[in-house]
Amino acid sequence: MKKLLLLNLLPVMFCCFANAQTAKIKGTIYDTINKQNLSNTSISLLREKDSVLYKFTRSGTNGNFEMHNLKAGNYYLFITHPTYADYADKLQLSDTSDLNLGTLIITLKANLLMDVIVKSKVSAIRINGDTTEFKADSFKVRDGASVEEMLKKLPGIQVDKDGKITAMGEKVNKVLVDGEEFFGDDPTIATKNLQASDIDKVQVFDKKSDQATFTGIDDGKRDKTINLKMKDDKKKGYFGKLDLGSSLNDRWSNSAMLNSFRAKRKLSAYGIMSSTGKTGLDWQENGQFGGGDSGPEYDEDNGYFSWSNNDGDDLTNNSYYGEGLPKSWSAGLNYSNKFNDEKQNINGSYRFNKLNTQGAGNNLSQLITGANTFTTKEFGNTFSSRLRHSLNGTYEWKIDSSTSLKVKVTGYTGKSNSLSVNNSQATNNLGTITNNSVRNYSSDGDNSNFVASILLRHKFKKVGRSISLNTEQRNNETNTEGYLYATIDTLNADGNLLRSITDQKKNDGSTTSSISSKLIYTEPLAKNVFAEINYNFRKTTSDAERLTYNKDGTGKYLNLSDTFSNHYKFDVTTNSGGLFFKYNGKKTTMSAGTDIAFADFSQTDLFSEEITSRKFTNFFPRANFTYKFNQSSRFNIGYSGSTQQPTIQQIQPVADNSNPLNITIGNPLLKQQFNHNFNINFNTFKVLSQRGFFIYGNFGLQQDAIVTNTTISNTSGQTINQYINANGNYNYYFGGNSFIKLKKLNANFNMGINANGSKFSSFVNGLKNTTVNNAPGFDIGLGKDKENKYNIYLRAGYNYNFSTTIVAEKVKTNYWTMNYSLNYTLQMPHKFEFNTDLDANIRQKTALFTANNNVFVWNAYLGRKILKKDKGIIKFVAHDILNQNIGYSRYVSANQISERNYQTITRYFMLSFVWNFTKAPPAPIAEQK
Amino acid sequence: MKKIIITAVSLFIIQLSVNAQTLFIAKGKIEFEKKVNIWKDIDSWSDNEDGNDWLQQIKKTIPQFELSYFNLLFDDAKTLYQPGRELPLDPKVPDWFRGPATDNIVYTNINAQQSVSKKTVFDNTFLIQDSSRKIDWRITGEQRTIAGFECRKAVGRIMDSVYVIAFYTDQITTSGGPESFNGLPGMILGVAIPRINTTWFATKLELVEVKPQDLTAPLKGKKVDQAGLLKQLQGPMKDWGKSGQRNIWKIMI
Repeated sequence: MKKLLLLNLLPVMFCCFANAQTAKIKGTIYDTINKQNLSNTSISLLREKDSVLYKFTRSGTNGNFEMHNLKAGNYYLFITHPTYADYADKLQLSDTSDLNLGTLIITLKANLLMDVIVKSKVSAIRINGDTTEFKADSFKVRDGASVEEMLKKLPGIQVDKDGKITAMGEKVNKVLVDGEEFFGDDPTIATKNLQASDIDKVQVFDKKSDQATFTGIDDGKRDKTINLKMKDDKKKGYFGKLDLGSSLNDRWSNSAMLNSFRAKRKLSAYGIMSSTGKTGLDWQENGQFGGGDSGPEYDEDNGYFSWSNNDGDDLTNNSYYGEGLPKSWSAGLNYSNKFNDEKQNINGSYRFNKLNTQGAGNNLSQLITGANTFTTKEFGNTFSSRLRHSLNGTYEWKIDSSTSLKVKVTGYTGKSNSLSVNNSQATNNLGTITNNSVRNYSSDGDNSNFVASILLRHKFKKVGRSISLNTEQRNNETNTEGYLYATIDTLNADGNLLRSITDQKKNDGSTTSSISSKLIYTEPLAKNVFAEINYNFRKTTSDAERLTYNKDGTGKYLNLSDTFSNHYKFDVTTNSGGLFFKYNGKKTTMSAGTDIAFADFSQTDLFSEEITSRKFTNFFPRANFTYKFNQSSRFNIGYSGSTQQPTIQQIQPVADNSNPLNITIGNPLLKQQFNHNFNINFNTFKVLSQRGFFIYGNFGLQQDAIVTNTTISNTSGQTINQYINANGNYNYYFGGNSFIKLKKLNANFNMGINANGSKFSSFVNGLKNTTVNNAPGFDIGLGKDKENKYNIYLRAGYNYNFSTTIVAEKVKTNYWTMNYSLNYTLQMPHKFEFNTDLDANIRQKTALFTANNNVFVWNAYLGRKILKKDKGIIKFVAHDILNQNIGYSRYVSANQISERNYQTITRYFMLSFVWNFTKAPPAPIAEQK
Repeated sequence: MKKIIITAVSLFIIQLSVNAQTLFIAKGKIEFEKKVNIWKDIDSWSDNEDGNDWLQQIKKTIPQFELSYFNLLFDDAKTLYQPGRELPLDPKVPDWFRGPATDNIVYTNINAQQSVSKKTVFDNTFLIQDSSRKIDWRITGEQRTIAGFECRKAVGRIMDSVYVIAFYTDQITTSGGPESFNGLPGMILGVAIPRINTTWFATKLELVEVKPQDLTAPLKGKKVDQAGLLKQLQGPMKDWGKSGQRNIWKIMI
């Protein structure tokens, strides 16, 4: 930008006619060259001190203008016209000024242009839109020098005393830091505050648009811009968390996590050891310190994001479900980096998990047959240990703006072993003992898993046209060696208890591998209408060997038991294709279509050399409709159908006698199950009045459901289960909730109803047996949150459970369950914090379950925040103060009602210290503003 | 000392004939492209600056910018700003990412300094009747061309702390602009509000005939004035942290 100062030789006429308390001015705009008065010229008054526009007007057709009611003050008179050079002049107005500025002469820009061009030639620097780049270190400046000082040394760049920068003869309007737009009106803030030594490169270029970094808009304008590239090592920092806790005896929970970053490189590590149930990173910690997360998927129909970061891994960051006493160790290391303007990124992680669980429990169950009812009492102790090493790697490459590639490889290898001892006794409805058992089972195994996938996506120029190819390979292998020693007494027809001893070694090995490839093509058909065509090929191969050896005379396990041994192969090849149509309107979105799949089953019994081949043709229809009433209200209804293939355990024709009183046998003729699923949702939220409600419902119907046929010995109560298909099974849940902000109390209140239920048919002694469960309920909650003072939340929920089982006669089991919970946090003076929560579960007794099964768990902690910015806290934690916690479950299945109590973590007191630490990189200058 | 400052000389000026009859424009239709950096909106959902990885992951799934188009009809001292052509909706952008007040209609009577605007705020539709917003514009020497018009940069501040950068041309004699921005000696063709990472830039001007019945104020919506609207928003937005304040700015502009 060139500045040209011309002396305006016109004298300004000061006339001093007295007037009221406001000033006025007038004048005429004149072009001397074309000898005409200029209309429509804008005349503005700017406050002298800050250039703020005070008033403006435009000249009339005769070039005259007038401004009235002006306050006294110092102004700039600023005159602009599209084709004339700007005119600026100081103007002082008093209360009584009435100025006639006379004829103001302005000059055509075209006439001035010649002068400017001459000046440009003198500077002899031409810019062609190419970036000029300076390596900052090549220009020596003193230690601690600002960027401005360095810029002064760069050829072609001048910095004036106010810090204004001129590059190649043009004024620099923008200074970017690492390409980030600095959005103040003063670019010097960046150059004066950043240190020269932090700068790697200085880039000078003509931006197509001044706004381009921020908006990407190309408005055709070129603008001289300086980009300061920071040295990567200046963008480093770390954050982490240390959490140490001990009860001084057997409860402890310690973790340390650290994430260090330098530029785009992130390296994080963590270690956790705990006996309070923390087996790894929680969800939030996983985002900060974990790795290998597959990222969220957006569900367009329902409008939510979902994460799935569990690739079939049963020993993950959250593997303790409250049963038994856990001891866990886990550690992880994660590395990620981005290259090439973030077009490529790589992420790799290693994880170690070990979880030992000691448990004890007892079971009370009632087994119903047409003619008899058996009541079984069982108690047992278990110990299990699982260990795993996992590796994950992801590589993403945005090849260009329309093509991307993602490669993902995950795998683990692990060991598991377990020991269990169980004792049971069953009585019939006459009170006669029908069986006794003592079972010892130990197993030792290893397992491994490997998944690799490649996803290639390409978007075409035409909006909505795209193609993607996803190829995936999976392998899973487990091998277990187990020893079973069981002493079983069973009642025979003569009324005597017969003893049998099972002493076996079991070698189980199974591998499953699959390869699949899916091609999806989308094509826009009309405005907002798209079609999706897909083809999918999948081949799954399973191999399961179950070898059981009885002890021979020499005490060695060498006699293969034909009854309990088998080697089976199960291959499924599926070819499927589908066509879907989709409409994306502003208010309505809908989609419908179907996949059709041809599945070939090939089953080979390697013992009997019997080969079974079966073919299935399935449709997988899907339909969805969503209507958006407004931004916070939507209605959705959908249907989908899918098949569920039997697992190899369900079809392998061999008996599993891990519990000799309850044997399970696979069925090679088992068909695949087909699931129909309907769902409906409505939700609305009034943002400003802060109230809303939602309704949801889901109904699932299973065709050829995979269930069991249980054969019960009428005398001994021994059972044999075999998988079989059954029809008529369904399950449902629905409910609604409304929530409202109570403005006077400044509290949130919610209440809702819910219900779930199912119909489940199976077979008992060849007879169809149906169980219908229904559990309607309602709940209310009240919460109040006063920032930095306290928050409290109360909830009460009630459900009534109806169960009806029909074998030969109807058996009804009805009972109430109630749940009350309270959570209260209080911020106290001197940085103290108190929290308590109480959770009460009350279950009504029934004719069978007469014991008290109410559980009250009360926890609390008192903490004090310490360190700068309250980054640390010392807490005294009391868990299960009443020492009442018991593990409990009750369920009613086809022909069995059972209740289970198990050992879980009970009362402990713990002292803990949590420290969140962080060292941030120097804040970008733009944020300091 | 008197001075004339000549700035930003570009060749296309020469091509413009100095013809006072067509040089100045007093009526027509301007199309604005509104561009919102929704990634920055997402950043505002969390007060925690360390490792909001899940928000970072969400960002990866959606485009960084959301574009929409508005038309500004003007005739002398009246302007009407309203939604213009529609882009095909990107289904990957969830509704609740689009934020409030995305389909504003703003009618401004410049001489009377009155404005009537219709704004959709989540589930509510407001009709805001009030005097035009008064902004202290600081005029700068910086210039740029927008949609073929030489524009000058002015910087103003609204709601105490929100900077507004505007580019206006004196070639259009109507002192209007997109949304509620006006009060400069010419038409505002570009606005950038860094605090809400949003820009409005004119893409084209059409010299269309504007009939008086085209320039009418919106009628529907809950009647409220600026102060009343702000009061209604402050309660619920208080609990929303950084994004609550951001929403208030987005609605109140």
